[in-house]
Parts: sequence; C-alpha cells; structure tokens
Amino acid sequence: MIISKTFKTLILAAILLLSANASADLLGDIQKRGTLKIGMSTFVPWAMRDKDGNLIGFEIDVATKVAEDMGVKVEFVPTAWSGIIPALIAKKFDLIIGGMSITPQRNLTVNFTVPYAHSGQQMAASTKLASGFDSRDDFNSSSVTIACRRGATPCQAAKDLFPKATVLRFDDDAQAFQEVVNGNAHAMISSAPKPRFWSDAYPTKIFLPFGNENLTRGDEAFAMRKGDHDAMNFFSNWITINTSSGWIKGRHDYWFQDQSAWKDMVSQ
Amino acid sequence: MDRNSPPPVKAKPRLTAVDYLLYAIVAIFIFYAIYRVNDVLVYTWNWSKVFGFLVKFDQETQSWVSNLLLQGLWTTLRLAIWATVFATIIGIVMGYWRTCENLTLRIISRCYVELIRNMPPVVFIFIFYFFVSSQIFPALGIEDIDSEGAFASSGVFHFMFGDPRLFSNFLAGMICLSLFEGAYITEIVRAGIQSTARGQWEAARAIGLSHFNVLRDIIIPQAIRKILPPLAGQFITLIKDSAIISLISIQELTFVATEVAATTTRVFETWILVGFMYFVLCYSFALLFAHLERRAKRSLQ
Repeated sequence: MIISKTFKTLILAAILLLSANASADLLGDIQKRGTLKIGMSTFVPWAMRDKDGNLIGFEIDVATKVAEDMGVKVEFVPTAWSGIIPALIAKKFDLIIGGMSITPQRNLTVNFTVPYAHSGQQMAASTKLASGFDSRDDFNSSSVTIACRRGATPCQAAKDLFPKATVLRFDDDAQAFQEVVNGNAHAMISSAPKPRFWSDAYPTKIFLPFGNENLTRGDEAFAMRKGDHDAMNFFSNWITINTSSGWIKGRHDYWFQDQSAWKDMVSQ
Repeated sequence: MDRNSPPPVKAKPRLTAVDYLLYAIVAIFIFYAIYRVNDVLVYTWNWSKVFGFLVKFDQETQSWVSNLLLQGLWTTLRLAIWATVFATIIGIVMGYWRTCENLTLRIISRCYVELIRNMPPVVFIFIFYFFVSSQIFPALGIEDIDSEGAFASSGVFHFMFGDPRLFSNFLAGMICLSLFEGAYITEIVRAGIQSTARGQWEAARAIGLSHFNVLRDIIIPQAIRKILPPLAGQFITLIKDSAIISLISIQELTFVATEVAATTTRVFETWILVGFMYFVLCYSFALLFAHLERRAKRSLQ
C-alpha cells in the first residue's frame, strides 16, 4: 500500500473523532434495515468467486447462517483488505467476517468477538533454493529471502520468527507465491491452508518444510465498531453455541481440509 | 514522353534496407524477451479459466450473459461517462471563474485547481471517501436508498447506475473522479477561453454587446470548438484513472480483476486480459474522437 502507516492512523483517528457519537444499537439498525451487511475480501478458501461470479467460501457460509439466525437477509460488500477497517468505521457495513486475526493493534480501533476459527501461518519453501532446510534456524539467516502479503499477519510472523532474513512484501498472496516459484525467494509465509494447496499444485517446485505444522496459531473473529456491547454479546454467543454444536468445525473442514469438495465450483 | 523530356524516375520503394534491418532487430528483441520470460518464469498458462469470467451461460434464461469481468467493464464505462459529465460542468464553471474579473472567484478557482493538481489521485480519493463521504452521505440520506423501491429496481436505474445496493459507493467514486478531473478540465477551458483572440472581445464590446452577450454568443462557441479535442483526450485519461477507484472497493474492472486473480490464482492471464480490455476501450474512443474531429474540420471548411 502506497499510503504509509502513520498517514493511515491519522485518517483513522480523524474518522474516530468525528464519529464519536456513533449509534450504539447495531442490532436494532440491522433489524430495521432487514439486511446484515458484511465486509469481506477475496481470500481463498475463506471467500472466493465461483464460475458464475457468486461468492462462496467458509466466511460466506458463516455469514449466511448468522443472518438466517437473526432473521434478516445477508449482503456482502467486497472490500479491498487494506481499507477494510477504515470502511467498517465509516459504516459501509456492519461487521467484518473476513478471517481477520485478533491483534492488539487492530483491537485498539475495532472490537473483536470470541474467535470462531484458528488458522495459522504456514510456510511454503522453494525446492531449488531451500532444499534440506527443515528447522527454523535454517531460515533465520541474512541470506534467506522470505515473501509475504503486505499489511497482514504473515509479514509480522516473518519479522518476528526470522528476524535476520530479508522480508519481501507484496500486495497479494499470489504474487508472493510467484516469487518463490520463480526461485527469487527462499520461502513465503501465508495463512494455512494456502501453502498446502500450492505445494499440491507445484509438487516439484514447492514443499512444506515444517510439514502440516503451523508456524503460529491465530485467532480469527468478527470485527465490529466500538461502543456496542449488545451486538458484541450476540455475536460472541452465536459463535460459542455454533462452535459447541460442531457446525463451524464442519464447515471449516469442508473448505480447508483439501480442495476436493469444492474444486469443481471454482474455475480450477 | 518525347526525346526532350527527362528520363522517367524509378519509383522509390517505401521500405528500404534500413527498414528491414530495424524490423529484424525489433523481432529478435521480442522473441528473445518471450523466450527469456518463458524460461525464467515458472508458470503454467491457463487462459480458459479467466475467459470463463467474461461471459457465462445462464441456465434460467438459456442465454449468454455477462460475468464478473464484463460487468466490471460496464461499471467502469458508467463511472467514466458520469464523471466526465460532472467534471465538464465543474470545469466550465471553474474555467470561467479563472478568467473573469472578480478577484474572489479567481482565487477560489485557482485554489481548487492547485489543490487537486498537486496531490496524487490515490491520496485524494482516500481522503474523500473515508473522510468526507462517510460524514456527508448519511446526512443526505443516500445510504438509506431503498434498493427494492420502484425506481431503484427498474431497468433504467440499473442501466444508468448499476446495482442499486452499491449506489452510494458508485456515487462516492463518481464525485471523487469528477472533482479530480474537473481541475484538469478547468485548465483546458481556461486555455480555450484565453486563446480566443483578445480582439474578439474588444470588437464585440465596440459594437455595443453587453459583457454577458459577448461571452454567450461569441467567446464560448469559439472556446468550445477549441476545447473539444483536449476534452476528448481527458475522457480517455479518465477511463484509465478510474482504475484507482478500485482502492475504495467499487466494483469496477480493476477491483473485479483482483478478485478473479485471487480466486483463480491465474495472475498473469487475468491482468493481461484486463489490460487488453482497457486498451480496446480507450483505443475505440480514441478512434471515434479522431473520426469526429476530422468530420468537424471538414464541415468548418
């Protein structure tokens, strides 16, 4: 993103100041409107487009059920990931259901529910440059280049776990991955299960140095504007009961285990 | 021909040996680039996945309808046309203010132009969208537009503005673009007005026409004829600038392309196709405007 972090924080602070008197009745607004507006971003397999251009994915299923249980219709607002929190605060939609990991920095500007999924960061490495690497120390050296998607937790994980390595930032996971496939980076870090999907697609060029083990464990939750405790209570409890009933895990496994279940829906 | 006339000159060929050498060099360069790209870039090309997003076969109506990419193209076209209309209005008003005698109007228009022209479009769009529109639009009631209402769900609305649920986004993007391009059109209009000879003004005033009459009947018609070519060029620039609007998540061609690229992971095919679509769009308009300009020149003679 061309906009620097300080500039973005300034804009955010200004918006927050101006919207200080935000109405703290999200549930009431949703019921009155009759639609639940969800902000999300395309991110395989959380949300993606099928062959007809419709939205499908784990998030889509979760959001559809939330709206069903509330008795309202659901409407998705596809938003560029780098502007999704400012868009939430500017009231373009009600919730972010987008596989957004809870981080303290984000929590200062938005509220998070309890986690509904635990993803993690995985690493996919180049067989050409990183063959034989199998421990974290192998990657933590100044001659190693790691690619990641900018503005999200992968780059943070890259910096924290491999401080000596050079980190290359890209706007997109696909671009970061292409760097590794081309042999310009030793490895790339991305949210599971994407690295596994890619190593299945390019078995001779890409391998998973740590097997199926994730580098970090993340907590993904719904994000909403600050100030509304009733909505927070509702959505957190919705997540809790659907986790206990196993529905969320069922949907998660359907989309994340491997691509066989939904491969034909997407233009694969 | 008779004996006194000079010998016939052999017709000069259009392409000489130097031309063929240049063609050979360019061809070698292109083939080498393609070869190197294929060699270095480890990538399995698969165009059918991406073409599938252009048109799809709708089972209900049993016909081919436009899919994501074509829908994005229509949105881009709508944005470009509406933004040009408003930008031209802004440009004409501001352009006139730049040249009139009132100091305040000149200051206002000069400030507007300098502010916009010295700021990158991305920054301007972020400020406008998150800051201004999020405060003003709810106050104007645009957010609450009833997408099921009679007018909103009619075919006319859809044709002119696209999906009614995305209307406030569309409006924000349109106003952003209009304000931004209006600054450039202001300068075009100002140049058009000022290039109309000073003598016209004086002669018209000398025969007793009022200030307003001079403007309306003599200066503006001549100025408009002069500004039409650069205005057409500005329209094409606007189509290209509309790609920036994807950053505020308006479903125009560039934004839809990022979604398709992310979903299919066919990064290169998607962007090459989208670049080609933009090229076709812009070049068609360029040809159209060139044709219209030639016709206008002929009619003037």
